[in-house]
Amino acid sequence: MIFLRRQLPLLITMITGLIFAGQYYVPHPASEQLLTSATKWLQIIGGFALVLGVTSLFQVHAAKIRRKEAGWGYSMVLYAGMLGTMAVGWWANGKESVEGVSTAFGWVYNFMMVPLQGTMFAILAFFIASAAYRSFRARSREAAVLLIAAVIVMMGRVPLGEYLVPVSGDISQWILNVLNASVRRAILIGVSLGAVALSFKIIFGVERSYLGGGKE
Amino acid sequence: MSFAERMLKIDRRIIFVVIGLCTLLPLLYPVGLPIKISQEVRGVYDHIESLPERSVILLSLDFDPASKPELYPQAVAILRHAFKKNLRVVAMTLWVSGTGMADELLTKVANESGKQRGTDFVFLGWSPGGTAVIINMGQDLYNAFPSDYGGKPTRGQPVLEGVNSLKDVIYAVSLGAGNPGVEAWYVFGKDKYKFELGGGCTGVMAPGLYPLLRSGQINGLIGGLRGAAEYESLIGQKGRAVAGMDAQSATHVAIIALVGLCNIFYFSLRRQARQQGSQP
Repeated sequence: MIFLRRQLPLLITMITGLIFAGQYYVPHPASEQLLTSATKWLQIIGGFALVLGVTSLFQVHAAKIRRKEAGWGYSMVLYAGMLGTMAVGWWANGKESVEGVSTAFGWVYNFMMVPLQGTMFAILAFFIASAAYRSFRARSREAAVLLIAAVIVMMGRVPLGEYLVPVSGDISQWILNVLNASVRRAILIGVSLGAVALSFKIIFGVERSYLGGGKE
Repeated sequence: MSFAERMLKIDRRIIFVVIGLCTLLPLLYPVGLPIKISQEVRGVYDHIESLPERSVILLSLDFDPASKPELYPQAVAILRHAFKKNLRVVAMTLWVSGTGMADELLTKVANESGKQRGTDFVFLGWSPGGTAVIINMGQDLYNAFPSDYGGKPTRGQPVLEGVNSLKDVIYAVSLGAGNPGVEAWYVFGKDKYKFELGGGCTGVMAPGLYPLLRSGQINGLIGGLRGAAEYESLIGQKGRAVAGMDAQSATHVAIIALVGLCNIFYFSLRRQARQQGSQP
């Protein structure tokens, strides 16, 4: 059993990891065909992952409803929303419109999901303004630098700001192109090196947390 | 409690009303301040402008309704430009929740430009797998998308004539609201299959994509509503983004004013505390 639980997955990871790391550098048709097949597999597995995700979501919220935990009413709303959408989706055969006429599924998407998601995002503007008023203070030199940079970029990114302070547009572009890009690049390089190191650790079986816990 | 203390603890609903009015009033009474075109947006525009007629461009609408206010106008402007240039458009999405919106958007702009589905444009829809879809399209487009969003087989559609994989796409633009988005299209698409790539994203994401822009990994970047407004100005068809810029201008200035006020009150309180501390 240890072989199936531990050694086999580690072996599969190592072999596929090494093959596909090498595949990138081999432009032979056989190598390309291998990549085509593997990505098709990935797409199919991705489809199953969706089913797994939905099932897991249902289980978590079913437990909340059963135990009547705090906020269990929201779990009921989630159930009603998901089951309702699935029902109209199946009824409409997954189509949002037929010959230009919106189906019930299309109606749910256009008149429920679109405005709800839009509202959630729009609310951010109000909370950001309130949070900025309460916490964006020049308490230290570093905070003062951040505050000045933020004000310049905010001014430079809108026509009214550029109209009031004409030079703000150019300074804002310089901040984004030089200061921001260089710092972001440094972070990206660091993250990428970390990803390479982690990949090697996974391929060679040093990092095994993805296998999960459980008895050996 | 002093005036400064009271102002620092102001009811948040007052701030909400200020922001609400700053958004609403400019939408009702637009001013129409001129918009300066940036090099980042011009990069995408100039590249599309330079393409010969019937070239194939790929537009990946990698966003959902939450980012509609910023990315929808970008998509409309790019599509109008591409159709005006008589380019063939292959559209798709890597975000399942954006599929219906992407189809509606494409149909609307195509109808307005008099373009035919299957001949001038195709909407491939969404396929599971995230970034694996990009690699699969790079290997074989018909394997990744055997049929389009309407269920019609992709093979044999005139719009895809001469296109077998991403290698046959001249230019790709990803309008992304997160991951998978512009970065994924560079890492899994452009780097391996060697097509030119442009990007569009929400305002908050734009600073994160500047390293890709400066190194030439993407040849242009349309950032947020401002980027969409610039693109609308470039194609001479002002729409939602230009209309929204006045509201964004007012909101930005209001937030700057609020932050300025908060700092004035904060420093006045700090000075008061120091003066009281120095008294015997």
